[in-house]
Amino acid sequence: MIRTNFFSKEGEVTPANLGEAIQQAIEIEIATIPVYLYTYYSINRVPDQDAISGSLSQALVQKGVPLARANATALELSAELMVYANKAGALIMSVAIEEMLHMALSSNLKQALAGLPELIGKSPSKWPACLPGHEPEFPINRDKLSLDQLMTFLKIESPDPLPDKKLLKAPIPYKTIGLFYQMIKDCIANNDLRYNTHSPQLLPGKGYYAQNNVDTLYYDKKHKPHFTNAADSGDLLYVQDRDSALHAITCIVDQGEGLPGAPGFKDGKVDCSKIIPDDYDDFDKKELSHFEKFARIYCSYEQLTKKFNALGIGAIDISSYFVANVAKNPLTAHYPAEIRPVSDFLNGVYTYLFVMVENCYKQSGNTQYEIFMFGVHKSMIFILNSVCGDIMKLTYKNSEDGKTYNVAPTFEDYPFGLISSPKSQLIDLYNAAVAVYPTISYLGQRVQDLPDVPL
Amino acid sequence: MANINYNPNLSLCGGSAPAPSAPGAQASLTPAPELHVCMGLNACKGHDRTGTNNCAGTGSCATAEQHNCQTLNNCRGQGGCGLYGDAEQQMRPGDNECAWQGSCAVPIQAERFSTLGENAGKSVWLQARKLFEERMMRAKRNFGEAPFKCGPPQNWLISVLGSYDSCGNSGDKRCSFGFNDPEDNAKLLCEGKKE
Repeated sequence: MIRTNFFSKEGEVTPANLGEAIQQAIEIEIATIPVYLYTYYSINRVPDQDAISGSLSQALVQKGVPLARANATALELSAELMVYANKAGALIMSVAIEEMLHMALSSNLKQALAGLPELIGKSPSKWPACLPGHEPEFPINRDKLSLDQLMTFLKIESPDPLPDKKLLKAPIPYKTIGLFYQMIKDCIANNDLRYNTHSPQLLPGKGYYAQNNVDTLYYDKKHKPHFTNAADSGDLLYVQDRDSALHAITCIVDQGEGLPGAPGFKDGKVDCSKIIPDDYDDFDKKELSHFEKFARIYCSYEQLTKKFNALGIGAIDISSYFVANVAKNPLTAHYPAEIRPVSDFLNGVYTYLFVMVENCYKQSGNTQYEIFMFGVHKSMIFILNSVCGDIMKLTYKNSEDGKTYNVAPTFEDYPFGLISSPKSQLIDLYNAAVAVYPTISYLGQRVQDLPDVPL
Repeated sequence: MANINYNPNLSLCGGSAPAPSAPGAQASLTPAPELHVCMGLNACKGHDRTGTNNCAGTGSCATAEQHNCQTLNNCRGQGGCGLYGDAEQQMRPGDNECAWQGSCAVPIQAERFSTLGENAGKSVWLQARKLFEERMMRAKRNFGEAPFKCGPPQNWLISVLGSYDSCGNSGDKRCSFGFNDPEDNAKLLCEGKKE
């Protein structure tokens, strides 16, 4: 991770360091993206219900439960598990796409107030990672879905300060992301700043951002779709004056932590009691804040675990039914030589996304539109998602613990060199990857179609 | 396609325009059918995948190239929509302005619903058919009924195309899932209701 130097007096955002503070905000948003995506891809959102139901029923019958009752219980619980797996994935993806929105809103803010946002090479390079400037510092892993991982998510999005231990010197310190943004807000509200309205931003109404897609919905027991994001919860916004700048920040904070007054942890634990209006981030009360979405996944995980373990057929780890066996914080370097080219290609696509988005802040009009619509969308929705699915079909033996794992997307920044264009390097990465893993050959034309964007 | 080669002229409008060249000898041209995205959306006789339909609106299948996700359509009017894209795009299945501007797979299976906008939760194919019928009315053309009233069911597409896939990780509408009744869900969509 290329860490920006944030020179500042502790806890103060001034017009002099406002640009650094907004860049820090951008890097906070970027740091969350690989974490949420990694956990998302660890979830099998459509596990095999027949297999789950069958094994449960068999175990119940062996325990002496009559077959009809065993089948009915197994069907009911397997259906609940199907919905849980599907919903957990939808909620995590719904947060991930809003983090991308926040990255864009913060970038618009920086473009208007302090110059070009820096996005390339800002993903964490060391794991466990931390949020730049967060006090107290806490470890953030790329890890599969679990209660521990959900607790990390909740700490990231917490509206309340976490128990404090030590102070940091370098980045501007803050107790919650909302409080950090509040410092930026105060600076914007209390100073007469000049707004650059000539440089390109990512604007609403162009089709760049969509609140929902097929990955942010989940199905209930009757396979009816439910949408996890609301259309009125937030969108891209043109930052052109004080009001629009403050509006952009309010959107980010409300989506993350809920409305002012939303409760966080209760006595250090996840509060599984009833949802209150402040837990939502939209006018119609249809979309929960990130914190509350994660709290709901956490609480449902506990409840479902209790239900399974009340069957009396032994201790059951429900994650074994729908969570892939991926390692914690893997790096491409950990993978065997025959897999590394595929991981490098995946990381090349991931990094090229940031290259393209950053370039959108240098381009306007149709050029920006084409880069975003045909480059960013095609890379994110089709190419990256496809490679993530394909790479997880591979397994490897970890040399450190001797165990076998599914290969997982590592979401590392690929170090594109300056000698040739990033796209030509991405094509080289694709060619190396397809040579060892022909399964991805269907992506060749799509990589070829990507816009050629410089560093 | 395995290996690919880098060519800077392939990027968007990269490279210079080709030198003008004189037309060669008159080739024997067969008129191409209009390209459209699904069953029941053909504007002319004989313009479906088999070339045998008798009337506008009665074609069996798309003439546009089959694809399975957003940004993969070849040109104008050849993209499906419904599972990705913003609210405005999702109101215009089969009516995108240019290449790569479609927001979902082609053809459009009967089970597909919109995920944003006024049509959220409702059938994408019915929206596409509505746009088609409005176009025919403007053109003062009669049109017939589609072979399937609410668009081609996914199982039928698989049977005739060999395989069929549309994007997304949240699950196939026909898969085993809790207590789902695919026929009942399809019926609701067909009636223009939200699932």
